[in-house]
Amino acid sequence: MKRSLAIFLSIFVLEASIALRAETDAEVRARKDALDIAGAFSNDGFKIRDGHWCGVVKPHDHALVAVNLYAGNQYWFSAAAEEPAKKIAVSVYDETGKQLTTESYNNEEKAAAGFSPANSGQYFVSVDLVEGEGGTFCLVYSYK
Amino acid sequence: MGMIRLAKLGLLALTAGVLAATGATDTGRLPADQLEKAVRSDAISIPTPGELFAALGKLEKTNWSGQYRGPMPVTYRNRAQIALNLGGLIADGFIAVEAKDSQQVKNIGSDIIKLAKALGVSERLLGRGNSINEFAQNNEWDTLQEELEATQNEVKSSMQSHADQDLVILVTLGGWIRGTQVVTAAIMQKYDERSAKVLRQPALVRLMQSRINEISPELRQEPLVKGVSEQLNGIEKLVSFPAGKTPTVDEVRKINEAVGKVMTEIESKDLSK
Repeated sequence: MKRSLAIFLSIFVLEASIALRAETDAEVRARKDALDIAGAFSNDGFKIRDGHWCGVVKPHDHALVAVNLYAGNQYWFSAAAEEPAKKIAVSVYDETGKQLTTESYNNEEKAAAGFSPANSGQYFVSVDLVEGEGGTFCLVYSYK
Repeated sequence: MGMIRLAKLGLLALTAGVLAATGATDTGRLPADQLEKAVRSDAISIPTPGELFAALGKLEKTNWSGQYRGPMPVTYRNRAQIALNLGGLIADGFIAVEAKDSQQVKNIGSDIIKLAKALGVSERLLGRGNSINEFAQNNEWDTLQEELEATQNEVKSSMQSHADQDLVILVTLGGWIRGTQVVTAAIMQKYDERSAKVLRQPALVRLMQSRINEISPELRQEPLVKGVSEQLNGIEKLVSFPAGKTPTVDEVRKINEAVGKVMTEIESKDLSK
Protein backbone atom coordinates (compact mmCIF):
# COMPACT_ATOMS: atom_id res chain seq x y z
CA MET A 1 0.00 0.00 0.00
CA LYS A 2 2.80 2.33 1.02
CA ARG A 3 4.76 1.36 -2.06
CA SER A 4 1.74 2.09 -4.32
CA LEU A 5 1.33 5.45 -2.70
CA ALA A 6 5.03 6.21 -3.16
CA ILE A 7 4.86 5.24 -6.86
CA PHE A 8 1.73 7.33 -7.32
CA LEU A 9 3.39 10.31 -5.63
CA SER A 10 6.54 9.87 -7.72
CA ILE A 11 4.49 9.89 -10.93
CA PHE A 12 2.55 12.91 -9.71
CA VAL A 13 5.72 14.82 -8.83
CA LEU A 14 7.33 13.84 -12.13
CA GLU A 15 4.29 14.99 -14.13
CA ALA A 16 4.08 18.19 -12.15
CA SER A 17 7.77 18.84 -12.82
CA ILE A 18 7.34 18.19 -16.53
CA ALA A 19 4.29 20.49 -16.66
CA LEU A 20 6.16 23.19 -14.76
CA ARG A 21 9.17 22.79 -17.03
CA ALA A 22 7.02 23.10 -20.16
CA GLU A 23 5.35 26.24 -18.79
CA THR A 24 8.73 27.74 -17.91
CA ASP A 25 10.03 27.07 -21.41
CA ALA A 26 7.03 28.88 -22.88
CA GLU A 27 7.65 31.81 -20.57
CA VAL A 28 11.31 31.93 -21.55
CA ARG A 29 10.38 31.99 -25.25
CA ALA A 30 7.71 34.64 -24.70
CA ARG A 31 10.14 36.75 -22.69
CA LYS A 32 12.78 36.48 -25.42
CA ASP A 33 10.23 37.64 -28.02
CA ALA A 34 9.07 40.50 -25.78
CA LEU A 35 12.70 41.56 -25.31
CA ASP A 36 13.16 41.50 -29.09
CA ILE A 37 10.39 44.08 -29.44
CA ALA A 38 11.75 46.16 -26.57
CA GLY A 39 15.19 45.95 -28.17
CA ALA A 40 13.88 47.86 -31.18
CA PHE A 41 12.95 50.77 -28.92
CA SER A 42 16.44 50.71 -27.40
CA ASN A 43 17.65 52.19 -30.70
CA ASP A 44 15.66 55.24 -29.72
CA GLY A 45 17.31 55.52 -26.30
CA PHE A 46 14.82 53.48 -24.26
CA LYS A 47 16.34 51.45 -21.42
CA ILE A 48 14.84 48.02 -20.81
CA ARG A 49 13.82 47.49 -17.19
CA ASP A 50 15.42 44.32 -15.77
CA GLY A 51 12.12 42.79 -14.74
CA HIS A 52 9.28 41.01 -16.45
CA TRP A 53 5.82 39.66 -15.87
CA CYS A 54 4.67 36.38 -17.35
CA GLY A 55 1.19 34.89 -17.21
CA VAL A 56 -1.54 33.32 -19.27
CA VAL A 57 -3.68 35.34 -21.62
CA LYS A 58 -7.23 33.98 -21.95
CA PRO A 59 -10.20 34.78 -24.19
CA HIS A 60 -12.47 37.57 -22.89
CA ASP A 61 -10.13 38.32 -20.01
CA HIS A 62 -7.69 41.14 -19.27
CA ALA A 63 -4.31 40.04 -17.97
CA LEU A 64 -3.72 43.12 -15.86
CA VAL A 65 -0.63 44.36 -14.01
CA ALA A 66 -0.22 47.54 -11.93
CA VAL A 67 2.80 49.74 -12.64
CA ASN A 68 4.01 52.95 -11.02
CA LEU A 69 5.27 55.49 -13.51
CA TYR A 70 6.86 58.93 -13.43
CA ALA A 71 5.70 62.02 -15.30
CA GLY A 72 8.56 63.14 -17.50
CA ASN A 73 9.50 59.63 -18.63
CA GLN A 74 8.33 57.94 -21.80
CA TYR A 75 7.42 54.25 -21.63
CA TRP A 76 6.95 51.30 -23.98
CA PHE A 77 5.25 48.13 -22.73
CA SER A 78 6.16 45.18 -24.96
CA ALA A 79 4.50 41.77 -24.83
CA ALA A 80 4.71 38.49 -26.71
CA ALA A 81 2.56 35.39 -26.43
CA GLU A 82 3.07 31.75 -27.36
CA GLU A 83 0.86 29.40 -29.36
CA PRO A 84 -2.06 28.80 -29.33
CA ALA A 85 -2.47 32.56 -28.85
CA LYS A 86 -2.46 34.09 -32.34
CA LYS A 87 -2.85 37.80 -31.79
CA ILE A 88 -2.58 39.97 -28.69
CA ALA A 89 -2.96 43.65 -27.83
CA VAL A 90 -1.44 45.82 -25.10
CA SER A 91 -3.46 48.67 -23.55
CA VAL A 92 -2.78 51.16 -20.78
CA TYR A 93 -5.30 52.48 -18.22
CA ASP A 94 -4.94 55.24 -15.67
CA GLU A 95 -5.55 54.76 -11.95
CA THR A 96 -9.30 55.30 -12.38
CA GLY A 97 -9.47 52.58 -15.02
CA LYS A 98 -9.85 54.93 -17.96
CA GLN A 99 -8.18 53.63 -21.10
CA LEU A 100 -5.48 55.93 -22.41
CA THR A 101 -4.53 56.78 -25.94
CA THR A 102 -1.21 55.16 -26.70
CA GLU A 103 1.12 54.65 -29.59
CA SER A 104 0.83 51.03 -30.55
CA TYR A 105 2.65 48.25 -32.31
CA ASN A 106 0.77 45.10 -33.26
CA ASN A 107 2.20 42.13 -35.07
CA GLU A 108 0.17 38.97 -34.47
CA GLU A 109 1.40 37.41 -31.21
CA LYS A 110 3.56 40.45 -30.42
CA ALA A 111 2.32 43.87 -29.38
CA ALA A 112 3.46 47.02 -27.61
CA ALA A 113 1.98 50.25 -26.29
CA GLY A 114 3.87 53.46 -25.70
CA PHE A 115 2.96 56.63 -23.86
CA SER A 116 4.20 59.49 -21.70
CA PRO A 117 2.26 59.86 -18.45
CA ALA A 118 1.10 63.39 -17.67
CA ASN A 119 0.95 62.54 -13.98
CA SER A 120 3.13 60.32 -11.83
CA GLY A 121 1.35 57.46 -10.11
CA GLN A 122 -0.28 54.12 -10.69
CA TYR A 123 -1.28 52.86 -14.13
CA PHE A 124 -2.51 49.49 -15.34
CA VAL A 125 -1.20 47.58 -18.33
CA SER A 126 -3.49 45.03 -19.92
CA VAL A 127 -2.50 42.18 -22.23
CA ASP A 128 -5.52 40.92 -24.17
CA LEU A 129 -6.07 37.99 -26.47
CA VAL A 130 -7.43 39.21 -29.82
CA GLU A 131 -7.26 35.95 -31.79
CA GLY A 132 -6.57 32.30 -30.98
CA GLU A 133 -6.71 30.34 -27.77
CA GLY A 134 -5.25 31.09 -24.36
CA GLY A 135 -1.47 30.95 -24.11
CA THR A 136 1.55 32.01 -22.11
CA PHE A 137 2.71 35.60 -22.51
CA CYS A 138 5.44 37.78 -21.12
CA LEU A 139 5.57 41.56 -20.68
CA VAL A 140 8.62 43.79 -20.29
CA TYR A 141 8.86 47.54 -20.28
CA SER A 142 11.34 50.19 -21.26
CA TYR A 143 11.67 53.86 -20.39
CA LYS A 144 13.62 56.98 -21.23
CA MET B 1 20.25 41.34 -40.67
CA GLY B 2 19.44 42.17 -37.04
CA MET B 3 19.61 45.88 -37.78
CA ILE B 4 17.24 45.52 -40.76
CA ARG B 5 14.77 43.62 -38.60
CA LEU B 6 14.93 46.27 -35.89
CA ALA B 7 14.59 49.06 -38.43
CA LYS B 8 11.50 47.35 -39.86
CA LEU B 9 10.05 46.98 -36.39
CA GLY B 10 10.78 50.63 -35.68
CA LEU B 11 9.06 51.65 -38.92
CA LEU B 12 6.05 49.49 -38.10
CA ALA B 13 5.88 50.97 -34.62
CA LEU B 14 6.08 54.48 -35.99
CA THR B 15 3.38 53.81 -38.59
CA ALA B 16 1.10 52.19 -36.05
CA GLY B 17 1.83 55.02 -33.67
CA VAL B 18 0.79 57.65 -36.19
CA LEU B 19 -2.39 55.67 -36.91
CA ALA B 20 -3.14 55.29 -33.23
CA ALA B 21 -2.46 58.95 -32.55
CA THR B 22 -4.78 60.10 -35.32
CA GLY B 23 -7.62 57.67 -34.86
CA ALA B 24 -7.67 56.53 -31.25
CA THR B 25 -9.82 57.96 -28.51
CA ASP B 26 -10.50 56.87 -24.95
CA THR B 27 -12.43 53.74 -25.69
CA GLY B 28 -12.95 51.93 -22.44
CA ARG B 29 -12.92 51.86 -18.70
CA LEU B 30 -12.05 49.05 -16.34
CA PRO B 31 -14.20 48.63 -13.22
CA ALA B 32 -12.64 49.18 -9.79
CA ASP B 33 -12.93 45.50 -8.79
CA GLN B 34 -10.90 44.50 -11.84
CA LEU B 35 -8.21 47.09 -11.03
CA GLU B 36 -8.11 45.75 -7.48
CA LYS B 37 -7.38 42.25 -8.79
CA ALA B 38 -4.49 43.42 -11.00
CA VAL B 39 -1.20 41.66 -10.40
CA ARG B 40 1.27 43.63 -8.31
CA SER B 41 4.70 42.19 -8.93
CA ASP B 42 7.82 43.63 -7.29
CA ALA B 43 9.76 43.02 -10.50
CA ILE B 44 7.56 45.27 -12.58
CA SER B 45 5.21 47.26 -10.30
CA ILE B 46 7.95 48.91 -8.23
CA PRO B 47 10.16 51.23 -10.27
CA THR B 48 13.93 51.34 -9.78
CA PRO B 49 15.72 54.46 -8.46
CA GLY B 50 17.12 54.78 -12.00
CA GLU B 51 13.63 55.40 -13.39
CA LEU B 52 12.97 58.11 -10.84
CA PHE B 53 16.29 59.82 -11.56
CA ALA B 54 15.71 59.55 -15.33
CA ALA B 55 12.42 61.45 -14.96
CA LEU B 56 14.02 64.19 -12.88
CA GLY B 57 17.16 64.45 -15.00
CA LYS B 58 15.16 65.03 -18.18
CA LEU B 59 13.18 67.90 -16.77
CA GLU B 60 15.87 69.74 -14.90
CA LYS B 61 19.64 69.92 -14.96
CA THR B 62 20.37 68.27 -11.65
CA ASN B 63 23.52 68.62 -9.59
CA TRP B 64 23.83 64.88 -8.97
CA SER B 65 27.26 64.98 -7.33
CA GLY B 66 25.84 67.50 -4.86
CA GLN B 67 23.58 64.69 -3.60
CA TYR B 68 26.38 62.37 -2.48
CA ARG B 69 26.51 61.46 1.20
CA GLY B 70 29.61 60.72 3.22
CA PRO B 71 31.06 57.22 3.51
CA MET B 72 28.68 54.96 5.34
CA PRO B 73 29.47 52.08 7.66
CA VAL B 74 29.42 48.66 6.08
CA THR B 75 29.73 46.83 9.37
CA TYR B 76 26.08 46.62 10.45
CA ARG B 77 25.12 43.39 12.16
CA ASN B 78 21.36 43.65 12.13
CA ARG B 79 20.17 41.92 8.94
CA ALA B 80 17.13 44.16 8.45
CA GLN B 81 19.36 47.21 8.76
CA ILE B 82 21.85 45.77 6.27
CA ALA B 83 19.04 45.11 3.77
CA LEU B 84 17.66 48.67 4.11
CA ASN B 85 21.13 50.17 3.75
CA LEU B 86 21.92 47.92 0.80
CA GLY B 87 18.89 49.35 -1.02
CA GLY B 88 20.01 52.88 -0.19
CA LEU B 89 23.50 52.14 -1.41
CA ILE B 90 22.20 50.81 -4.72
CA ALA B 91 20.27 54.09 -5.12
CA ASP B 92 23.59 55.89 -4.45
CA GLY B 93 25.07 53.86 -7.30
CA PHE B 94 22.38 55.18 -9.66
CA ILE B 95 23.17 58.74 -8.48
CA ALA B 96 26.86 58.25 -9.27
CA VAL B 97 25.91 56.95 -12.72
CA GLU B 98 23.75 60.04 -13.32
CA ALA B 99 26.73 62.15 -12.20
CA LYS B 100 28.94 60.15 -14.59
CA ASP B 101 31.47 59.79 -11.77
CA SER B 102 33.46 56.60 -12.34
CA GLN B 103 35.42 56.71 -9.06
CA GLN B 104 32.24 57.16 -7.03
CA VAL B 105 30.60 54.27 -8.89
CA LYS B 106 33.59 52.05 -8.06
CA ASN B 107 33.53 53.04 -4.38
CA ILE B 108 29.81 52.38 -4.10
CA GLY B 109 30.09 49.14 -6.06
CA SER B 110 32.69 47.95 -3.56
CA ASP B 111 30.46 48.89 -0.59
CA ILE B 112 27.47 47.13 -2.18
CA ILE B 113 29.48 43.91 -2.40
CA LYS B 114 30.66 44.26 1.23
CA LEU B 115 27.11 44.73 2.53
CA ALA B 116 25.75 41.96 0.30
CA LYS B 117 28.42 39.58 1.59
CA ALA B 118 27.45 40.44 5.15
CA LEU B 119 24.01 39.06 4.28
CA GLY B 120 25.63 35.95 2.85
CA VAL B 121 24.22 36.43 -0.63
CA SER B 122 25.60 34.74 -3.71
CA GLU B 123 29.30 34.68 -4.56
CA ARG B 124 28.25 35.54 -8.11
CA LEU B 125 27.87 39.10 -6.88
CA LEU B 126 31.65 39.38 -6.79
CA GLY B 127 31.54 39.11 -10.56
CA ARG B 128 29.02 41.93 -10.65
CA GLY B 129 31.40 44.07 -8.62
CA ASN B 130 34.16 43.47 -11.17
CA SER B 131 31.79 44.36 -14.03
CA ILE B 132 30.76 47.57 -12.29
CA ASN B 133 34.43 48.55 -11.96
CA GLU B 134 35.14 47.73 -15.59
CA PHE B 135 32.14 49.64 -16.96
CA ALA B 136 32.93 52.61 -14.71
CA GLN B 137 36.53 52.58 -15.94
CA ASN B 138 35.28 52.72 -19.54
CA ASN B 139 32.56 55.33 -18.85
CA GLU B 140 29.84 52.98 -20.12
CA TRP B 141 27.03 54.73 -18.29
CA ASP B 142 24.00 53.05 -19.88
CA THR B 143 25.54 49.62 -19.33
CA LEU B 144 26.39 50.59 -15.75
CA GLN B 145 22.78 51.47 -15.06
CA GLU B 146 21.72 48.06 -16.39
CA GLU B 147 24.43 46.39 -14.29
CA LEU B 148 23.23 48.14 -11.12
CA GLU B 149 19.67 47.01 -11.82
CA ALA B 150 20.90 43.48 -12.46
CA THR B 151 22.94 43.61 -9.23
CA GLN B 152 19.87 44.67 -7.27
CA ASN B 153 17.85 41.84 -8.81
CA GLU B 154 20.61 39.33 -8.14
CA VAL B 155 20.81 40.38 -4.50
CA LYS B 156 17.05 39.89 -4.22
CA SER B 157 16.95 36.54 -5.98
CA SER B 158 19.87 35.33 -3.88
CA MET B 159 17.96 36.38 -0.76
CA GLN B 160 14.94 34.42 -1.98
CA SER B 161 16.99 31.28 -2.50
CA HIS B 162 18.53 31.68 0.97
CA ALA B 163 15.06 31.85 2.59
CA ASP B 164 15.59 35.56 3.23
CA GLN B 165 12.48 36.50 1.25
CA ASP B 166 11.42 38.91 3.99
CA LEU B 167 14.51 41.03 3.49
CA VAL B 168 13.82 41.61 -0.21
CA ILE B 169 11.18 44.30 0.36
CA LEU B 170 13.55 46.05 2.77
CA VAL B 171 16.16 46.38 -0.01
CA THR B 172 13.47 47.85 -2.29
CA LEU B 173 12.21 50.16 0.44
CA GLY B 174 15.72 51.37 1.33
CA GLY B 175 16.28 52.25 -2.32
CA TRP B 176 13.00 54.14 -2.61
CA ILE B 177 13.61 56.12 0.59
CA ARG B 178 17.13 57.12 -0.44
CA GLY B 179 15.95 57.92 -3.99
CA THR B 180 13.13 60.10 -2.68
CA GLN B 181 15.49 61.86 -0.28
CA VAL B 182 17.83 62.75 -3.16
CA VAL B 183 15.08 63.81 -5.54
CA THR B 184 13.31 66.01 -2.98
CA ALA B 185 16.64 67.64 -2.06
CA ALA B 186 17.40 68.32 -5.73
CA ILE B 187 13.92 69.79 -6.32
CA MET B 188 14.24 72.03 -3.25
CA GLN B 189 17.55 73.36 -4.55
CA LYS B 190 16.01 74.34 -7.88
CA TYR B 191 12.22 74.18 -7.68
CA ASP B 192 10.43 73.39 -10.90
CA GLU B 193 6.76 72.38 -11.07
CA ARG B 194 7.32 69.68 -13.68
CA SER B 195 10.08 68.07 -11.61
CA ALA B 196 7.97 68.17 -8.44
CA LYS B 197 5.32 66.05 -10.20
CA VAL B 198 7.55 62.96 -9.94
CA LEU B 199 6.83 62.86 -6.20
CA ARG B 200 3.22 61.73 -6.51
CA GLN B 201 3.36 57.97 -5.70
CA PRO B 202 0.61 56.97 -3.23
CA ALA B 203 0.00 53.51 -4.69
CA LEU B 204 3.70 52.70 -4.68
CA VAL B 205 4.07 53.50 -0.98
CA ARG B 206 0.88 51.51 -0.25
CA LEU B 207 2.29 48.56 -2.16
CA MET B 208 5.55 48.61 -0.19
CA GLN B 209 3.61 48.96 3.05
CA SER B 210 1.46 45.95 2.16
CA ARG B 211 4.60 43.92 1.39
CA ILE B 212 6.04 44.84 4.80
CA ASN B 213 2.80 43.67 6.40
CA GLU B 214 3.42 40.26 4.82
CA ILE B 215 6.85 39.70 6.40
CA SER B 216 7.31 37.55 9.49
CA PRO B 217 5.92 39.01 12.75
CA GLU B 218 9.37 38.70 14.38
CA LEU B 219 11.04 40.85 11.74
CA ARG B 220 8.11 43.27 11.66
CA GLN B 221 8.49 43.78 15.40
CA GLU B 222 12.17 44.72 15.18
CA PRO B 223 12.43 48.35 16.33
CA LEU B 224 13.96 49.63 13.07
CA VAL B 225 11.47 47.86 10.79
CA LYS B 226 8.55 48.83 13.03
CA GLY B 227 9.69 52.46 13.08
CA VAL B 228 10.20 52.64 9.32
CA SER B 229 6.84 51.00 8.71
CA GLU B 230 5.03 53.44 11.01
CA GLN B 231 6.67 56.43 9.37
CA LEU B 232 5.76 55.07 5.95
CA ASN B 233 2.10 55.70 6.78
CA GLY B 234 2.85 59.38 7.24
CA ILE B 235 4.97 59.49 4.07
CA GLU B 236 2.13 57.92 2.10
CA LYS B 237 -0.08 60.88 3.01
CA LEU B 238 2.65 63.31 1.97
CA VAL B 239 2.99 61.81 -1.53
CA SER B 240 -0.77 61.45 -2.10
CA PHE B 241 -1.51 64.55 -4.17
CA PRO B 242 -4.57 64.56 -6.40
CA ALA B 243 -3.71 63.74 -10.03
CA GLY B 244 -2.67 66.92 -11.80
CA LYS B 245 -1.76 68.80 -8.63
CA THR B 246 1.85 69.86 -8.29
CA PRO B 247 3.42 69.83 -4.82
CA THR B 248 4.63 73.21 -3.58
CA VAL B 249 8.16 73.83 -2.32
CA ASP B 250 6.86 73.53 1.21
CA GLU B 251 5.23 70.18 0.46
CA VAL B 252 8.46 68.96 -1.14
CA ARG B 253 10.35 70.05 1.99
CA LYS B 254 7.96 68.08 4.21
CA ILE B 255 8.55 64.92 2.18
CA ASN B 256 12.30 65.52 2.31
CA GLU B 257 12.23 65.91 6.08
CA ALA B 258 10.12 62.78 6.53
CA VAL B 259 12.29 60.54 4.36
CA GLY B 260 15.44 62.18 5.80
CA LYS B 261 14.35 61.20 9.30
CA VAL B 262 13.79 57.60 8.22
CA MET B 263 17.14 57.55 6.42
CA THR B 264 18.93 58.77 9.56
CA GLU B 265 17.42 55.88 11.52
CA ILE B 266 18.38 53.40 8.82
CA GLU B 267 21.98 54.62 8.81
CA SER B 268 22.34 54.88 12.59
CA LYS B 269 25.00 52.61 14.07
CA ASP B 270 23.28 52.83 17.45
CA LEU B 271 20.50 50.59 16.22
CA SER B 272 22.83 47.77 15.29
CA LYS B 273 22.76 44.75 17.50
